[in-house]
Amino acid sequence: MIGEPILVMLVEDNADHAELVIRTLEEHRITNKVRHFLDGQSALDYLFHRGEFSNPAANARPHVILLDLRLPRVDGIDVLKAIKEDDHLKSIPVVVLTTSEAEKDVAKAYYNHANSYLVKPVGFEEFKRLMDDLGFYWLSWNTSPEIRD
Amino acid sequence: MSNLLELPTFKDPEEKIKARLIVLVSMGITIASMIFVVLSLFAMPNLFNRALALGTIIVPGVLVVAWLLRTQRLHAAAGLLLALIWLTVSVGAISAGGISAPITIGYMFAITISGLLVTRRISTLITAMCVIVGFLIAWAEMNGWLPPVHVFSSIERIFIYSVFFILALALQNITAANVQRLLRQTHESEAKYKSFLESIPTITYINSHDLNTDTEYISPQVENLLGYTQDEFLKDRGLWKKIIHPDDRDRVFAENASTIETQMSFQMEYRLIAKDEKVVWVRDEAILVHDAEGLPQYWLGVWTDITNRKQAEEEQTELIGIMTKRTIQLQTAAEISRAVSSMLDIDQLLSNVVELIRNHFEYYYVGIFLLDESGSVALLSAATGEMGKQMIESRHRLRVGDSSMIGWCISHRQARIALDVGSDAVRFKNPVLPLTRSEMALPLITHGAVIGAMTIQSAIPAGFSRVDITALQTMADQIANAIDNARLFAERSALISELEKRNTELERFTYTVSHDLRSPLVTIRGFLGWLRQDVSSGDLARFDKDINRIANAVDKMQTLLNDLLELSRIGRIITTPRDVQFREVVDESIDLLSGVLEEHKVQLQIQENLPTVYGDPTRLIEIMQNLISNAAKFMGDQPNPVIEIGTRGFDDGGKPVLFVRDNGIGIEPEYHERIFGLFNRLNPEIEGTGIGLTLVKRIVEVHGGRIWLESEPGKGTTFLFTLPIPEPT
Repeated sequence: MIGEPILVMLVEDNADHAELVIRTLEEHRITNKVRHFLDGQSALDYLFHRGEFSNPAANARPHVILLDLRLPRVDGIDVLKAIKEDDHLKSIPVVVLTTSEAEKDVAKAYYNHANSYLVKPVGFEEFKRLMDDLGFYWLSWNTSPEIRD
Repeated sequence: MSNLLELPTFKDPEEKIKARLIVLVSMGITIASMIFVVLSLFAMPNLFNRALALGTIIVPGVLVVAWLLRTQRLHAAAGLLLALIWLTVSVGAISAGGISAPITIGYMFAITISGLLVTRRISTLITAMCVIVGFLIAWAEMNGWLPPVHVFSSIERIFIYSVFFILALALQNITAANVQRLLRQTHESEAKYKSFLESIPTITYINSHDLNTDTEYISPQVENLLGYTQDEFLKDRGLWKKIIHPDDRDRVFAENASTIETQMSFQMEYRLIAKDEKVVWVRDEAILVHDAEGLPQYWLGVWTDITNRKQAEEEQTELIGIMTKRTIQLQTAAEISRAVSSMLDIDQLLSNVVELIRNHFEYYYVGIFLLDESGSVALLSAATGEMGKQMIESRHRLRVGDSSMIGWCISHRQARIALDVGSDAVRFKNPVLPLTRSEMALPLITHGAVIGAMTIQSAIPAGFSRVDITALQTMADQIANAIDNARLFAERSALISELEKRNTELERFTYTVSHDLRSPLVTIRGFLGWLRQDVSSGDLARFDKDINRIANAVDKMQTLLNDLLELSRIGRIITTPRDVQFREVVDESIDLLSGVLEEHKVQLQIQENLPTVYGDPTRLIEIMQNLISNAAKFMGDQPNPVIEIGTRGFDDGGKPVLFVRDNGIGIEPEYHERIFGLFNRLNPEIEGTGIGLTLVKRIVEVHGGRIWLESEPGKGTTFLFTLPIPEPT
């Protein structure tokens, strides 16, 4: 891991929220490498190396995926399912990051093997705190299996 | 001795006479032998020994005869008596020295008695024996083997002859008396039988034994039964064949011909037509009578009047028929009740009911009319067979009132029956049902209100019995209740599904609202924090950007709230609808959207002659505004964006189909339904709250219309919707 940039994949349709996440992660030096996707379809294309992302070398697998649930084209839950049903991708930790507190969504996410479920907090400090903790936990404390393409 | 003389009883009158004769002859010869013994003792001493010899033969012999009679052995007694006389005469003749003895006349006596007592053959035998013994005695006399001839004096001869004369007289008297008595008895019994035959209620007849079987005799009481006299039957000997009921004639003649051939007894029940045209049922039983040599002579038969029995049987059969029918109808009624009570789908209920009734009661056609909302027209809602299908397809309807049986029945709330449709002017001849001969219309009444009527048509004139009418009216009541139940159930189901739909929508609404309102809040609060950092770090460019992000998020919240308010109003507020020229709606919408249209450089093509519709103009403008702006927004990189607005025919209900077509990016098929759902936004790059199409759909549906779309990715999208047209005045 040493020397290798830590890649975070962010799937988020709300550009403002994406900016909040990226800005927080980068400014706090949790990671300097975030790949942002606006919809589920392009995220899956990236992960499965399809279309414009067909070169595996240029499109490395992320260390953690931050996934919003309500996404255009392919819904967040479907993205989650596709990841967890794929033998190569299923070991990548998927953290659901959403505005929905609905029990239904939480249940659905864990049912489909989400590794964590986080609700975006309303408030600058809280948001910052969450991102810090998230970075520490998943990128420092947590040991993930080696991801191969 | 007195016992022995007492006459034994014989049942057969002939045997009785014979027994009496045997007793008399026995007594006669005993007395004669005794007189002979006494006389010879005093007057003819030379004959005494012989008289005694005869007596010793006769007396024990007669005692044996009497004993045989006592023991009912009539033939043995008769034989023994004849043998005794024969022996006495033969012994007398031999002892008197020859055939010239006067006693030989006794053979005549023996022969005469034998004629009365025994069969002809034995009588002939006895005669032969008498002749042979006579010759033997004569032969013995000529050879001198007999004692010397006794010469009878004249007085002796006449004495012996006289005994036989007296015996002959007695015999003759007895015989004559017996013959007369037999004759009288025969007459009496014949008269008795005749009066019996002619007084019993059964009619006796004799028919000739030939192919004609003509009447030769018929007992006179036939007149009581048939009105024709005995004389009429005897004058026209074939009369009986002419008065057989036409329907029975063939089988009677066939049976008659068959029994003539087989000579078996004739037995049959059939109808005769009496002189007064009344039908009389008779049982005819006849046997062929043969003579002693076995040749057929005549048919002897009886007619017994069985009219009452037959009537009872017919009544019973009819009663059983009625009971059976009633049972079947009750079963049908039960089956229908069961079927209808378990059926809550009204179309299925009605079509099952008509089929069940038609099949079980074997009617030609059964249909159910239901009143429409106005209550003035009854619409055929279910009917049997191909003709029923045709009429339902052509939306066969009848006006309530006296112009049709159904109309009459509904307006008068009463069953109406036309047993012969030809004579009932109420029924208008229906060319689709040409075989109807009788018809019944039953009102369907539930909770005191007429909801329709049932028509039942039969191909038979007067095809409905009183029993049918009662059973069917009962059934009609049950059917009416079942229809009411099914309607209530359908209403309830519709309400439940509407509630469920509303509930789901509400859930989705709160969920989405919480999410979609929370989302800008996250942005606002997040970037407010960053604003402070921007200020302290002096990064004014980012400060500006962040301010804009906050402002946009606030705008988004406001739009969302406005749209939600709009949507919540739509279900409640409909300003009075009116006739609207759709062209005006289009023009106004375009005016309001001029900015957007110019921005996207959209070319508009609007069809001429857009229809007049009926609705709330403000809402209709909202529809067009949303659809046109959507079309303009989703043009993608189309270099020549075109939006077409027009009509495309009419739907099944006669409503015009309007459309808005674009040549933009198109929509993938899986989103065609979802696109109308609340907050379903397909493209995050394009502005919107995801409420617009939900709103459009809601407005169209509130107006009683329908909206759908046709689209393929890259080939543009057409939204189609229907709106009501003005009510005809």
